[in-house]
Amino acid sequence: MGVSADAAATLQAFTKANDIRFPLLADFRRQMLPAFDAMVTDEKSPIYRYAKRAYFILDRQGVVRYVKIQENPIELLNSEDVLKALKESGAA
Amino acid sequence: MRRRMGRGTLGIVMGAVMCLLLTTHASALEVGQKAPDFTLQAPDGKPVKLADLLGKGPVVIFTFIQAFTGV
Repeated sequence: MGVSADAAATLQAFTKANDIRFPLLADFRRQMLPAFDAMVTDEKSPIYRYAKRAYFILDRQGVVRYVKIQENPIELLNSEDVLKALKESGAA
Repeated sequence: MRRRMGRGTLGIVMGAVMCLLLTTHASALEVGQKAPDFTLQAPDGKPVKLADLLGKGPVVIFTFIQAFTGV
């Protein structure tokens, strides 16, 4: 699932416009993102208090098995990288 | 002499506190830690709880900057 600091209505429109088949969740109140160290808090940043590009894999017990927080948001992992990380993490 | 030692000790304590704070921030969420639970809004406005999702299996989360921006 994906998480951003957008409003739920924005994610609803984004989901519909791009025919996204997995849940996108809104952290508009900025509660989850800072707890996962996945929020930009640099006041000089033009994207202050928005989500970082980050990936987390949790097992069934909620234990973190994989963390990747990108300092550069352009550095995307492709789906093969994420699937490989899921298999290697032992979470599945 | 006592005053000097007092200042030195205070400096060491302050340094230790700063190191602890920096270390705590750097290790906000690490492999092996239990992830903090959260409840977020789905696009339809309904609340979604992490604990409920974990009941269905492992969870892969990615965070992204902003919808409609390409990042």
